[in-house]
Amino acid sequence: MPAASSIRVLVVDDQLTMRALVRSALQQIGFTDVNEAPDGEEGLKALVAKGAHLVISDYNMPKMDGLDFLRAIRSHEPTKKTAFIMLTGRSDKELVQRAIQFGVNNYLTKPFTTVSLKQKIEAVFGALT
Amino acid sequence: MDPMDAIKVTFFQECDEQLGELEAGLMALEEGTGDRETVNAVFRAVHSVKGGAGAFGFEDLVKFSHTFETVLDLMRSDKLAIEPDVLHVMLRASDVLADLVHAARDGGTVDQDRCAALMEELEHLALGDSAAPAPAPVAAVTSAPASPDAEPEPDEWGFVPLRISIDDVPLLDEPAAPASDEEIWKVTFTPRPALYAKGSDATILLRELAILGECDVAVDDSLVPSLDAMDVNASYLSWTCFLNSDKDEAAIREIFEFVEGDCDLIVERIVVSTPAPITAPMPVIEPIAPPPVAIVAPAPTAKPTAAPPRAAPAASKAAPAAAASGDGEGKAAANATIRVDLERVDRLIDLVGELVINQAMLAQRVAETGVVRSSNVAMGLDELEQLTRELQDSVMAIRAQPVKSVFQRMPRLVREIATATNKQVRLVMDGEGTEVDKTVIERLSDPITHMLRNAVDHGLETTQERIDAGKAAEGTIRLAALHRSGRIVIEVSDDGRGINRERVKAKAIEKGLIAADLNMTDEEIDNIIFLPGFSTASAISDISGRGVGMDVVKRSIQALGGRISINSNPGKGSTFTLSLPLTLAVLDGMVVSAAEQTLIAPLTTIIETLQPKPGEVRRLGPNRTVIAVRDAFVPLVDVGVALGFRKESAQPDSGVVLLVESEGGGRAALLVDDIQGQRQVVIKSLEANYQRVEGVAAATILGDGRVALILDVDGLIAQRVSETRAETQLAKAG
Repeated sequence: MPAASSIRVLVVDDQLTMRALVRSALQQIGFTDVNEAPDGEEGLKALVAKGAHLVISDYNMPKMDGLDFLRAIRSHEPTKKTAFIMLTGRSDKELVQRAIQFGVNNYLTKPFTTVSLKQKIEAVFGALT
Repeated sequence: MDPMDAIKVTFFQECDEQLGELEAGLMALEEGTGDRETVNAVFRAVHSVKGGAGAFGFEDLVKFSHTFETVLDLMRSDKLAIEPDVLHVMLRASDVLADLVHAARDGGTVDQDRCAALMEELEHLALGDSAAPAPAPVAAVTSAPASPDAEPEPDEWGFVPLRISIDDVPLLDEPAAPASDEEIWKVTFTPRPALYAKGSDATILLRELAILGECDVAVDDSLVPSLDAMDVNASYLSWTCFLNSDKDEAAIREIFEFVEGDCDLIVERIVVSTPAPITAPMPVIEPIAPPPVAIVAPAPTAKPTAAPPRAAPAASKAAPAAAASGDGEGKAAANATIRVDLERVDRLIDLVGELVINQAMLAQRVAETGVVRSSNVAMGLDELEQLTRELQDSVMAIRAQPVKSVFQRMPRLVREIATATNKQVRLVMDGEGTEVDKTVIERLSDPITHMLRNAVDHGLETTQERIDAGKAAEGTIRLAALHRSGRIVIEVSDDGRGINRERVKAKAIEKGLIAADLNMTDEEIDNIIFLPGFSTASAISDISGRGVGMDVVKRSIQALGGRISINSNPGKGSTFTLSLPLTLAVLDGMVVSAAEQTLIAPLTTIIETLQPKPGEVRRLGPNRTVIAVRDAFVPLVDVGVALGFRKESAQPDSGVVLLVESEGGGRAALLVDDIQGQRQVVIKSLEANYQRVEGVAAATILGDGRVALILDVDGLIAQRVSETRAETQLAKAG
């Protein structure tokens, strides 16, 4: 039963709006340690510099998209085990399947609710306190 | 503010950015300057609008952007060709999308019919090439929540969440010395047919690559066609590998050495595992441009200064990288810029203005004490003057902005008028980077809008007329900005029918604007269109006939100290040329005196100065005089009398005459007592400090501390010119 407040999250999205929405939902769930990055490249840098238990990343981003970001994380020893939840569209079945191939932990379709975000995180880490 | 409201403000700000990018991208594609990344960026823009709209429940916006996105996705995956027709639909769709965004923001409504029509066109595009209907956005799927600790169940896509324990994820709070100089390499390997033809084996190469370190290989088989369409000699597969290795790029490339010319190989280094302490990058600042606003939209209600949510307390912990994600999204990162409150800049400009006045006062006082010009004091003052000028120029440059912020709203405008008038129009823009003072920019939008409306509506022929005349069916309108002798020049030209002078003259006579027997040059006839109350359109059209004519455009340009002229070539088109001062803060003026008052005449209006001889001035009635300037008579205005400083006109031959040109091209002569010199003056608004005075444009403070009025030359002579025009003819005849 991990405490939400003990989990460090990195939110990666090129949209300020989306990052703010995810952050706001995370805070409602009880997360306090939330970092942000605007794309995969910056995300990797942040991850390497500070680490995170959980990455919540968009797919569609300039420079490095969510899939490449996931693969890069999985290829790098220190970040290999970081949990990864991909934000996807409603009809991105193909994308989800490719993400499975690269070891995504879960995915969350947009638009999402705080409840669905919590469920998706709990499906990875178990119930949160 | 409710956190969600704050995010909403951010959303709409981002939407404006996205919409700008969308339009710019589509236009780049239309011009053929776009590439794959442009298509991706355009897709992302619509995708992002949709994503945010979904989160805030803007259903119309979600629906429209979804359909739009579907079509863009087809384009992205090469299932829909990038053709002019398709792009036209998309550009119009981007306009509707902008309307929907603004409606969502300001609570307005959108033209439902237009929206539905565009939606249909988009759906048609989506169906046309793929035969698959655009999947409607699925209503919110909320899978029944399983007990969080129960084993995850596969969902409708067969996905089983991958469980891990939080304890298994190491945190890198202290990025201790890395074990090795490991790096992640992304290797993209795309064999060409020749590779296979020569008997090389891609899998062997990939295996060798895997020896260099831990390697994650994925094959991209998206290009593999169905079996019956497959060409045995073609190459359909490509691989991307994420390699974790301490080897360098050369070592990776060496593996592919023997197939070098037979494959496409991209080796990218992704992250260095020895992170230097990452310092927050410099905040990214955009040029101080206002957010782009669609032409039909009311001014944004969201204050640009509203604190974006990233300023929330939690953000203080944000990863350093997040700092790079400022409003500019890293695009302007190359230019180190800072955002400054406009008020501060204006204050600075004001202060420098005072400094200029002060410097002039000082120079005058020193001169009055009789110091020799070659003395140290005088020379020091000269240097001070030079520096003050430079300082002023530099400060003015801070407020200078590219005209792009105005220009970028114009393509949409032209598209809309073109659609409304059923004409094919191409807008070519030039010189968008030309800089001009912010205050001037803000007031450029209306005149340009009006001139473009006119150009499309009246300037260009109908498509059929163009074809009959042997012209290209598509009319071209050019909007250009350039600097010319210290002023900014805006040109709007069309390749349409040009001004029908016969018709213009007939109309003007019919409306009583000119005398029937007036002999006029082509130029003079062309200028009739600037007369108040003139309109040649047989029916007042919806587009340009909104009760304002070119006379309004002209007046607003004149109010800015600008000039407008027209150059028309029958059958070939017309060009309107606007010329404006680069700033409204300073002015080059001629310092004159009249009735013991010191006055300033804007230098740009003065054609020449002359000393009248007694015989050259003729009286026409009790209050009117004309002066013979070479072979023409021009009305003579005694400035002292016109402004009420004296009742009786001075003896013309005792004063000096400034020959000035009004914006309409009409000439007049201003009689003053003396000319004191030429000087750059700082403009102070008279209206803001006192009230509007006829014949006076503004005021300034002179070197000796006195206030001097700046003459509104046009205002002074406008009345006289029209009154005297007929009389001049008489005088000429006599």
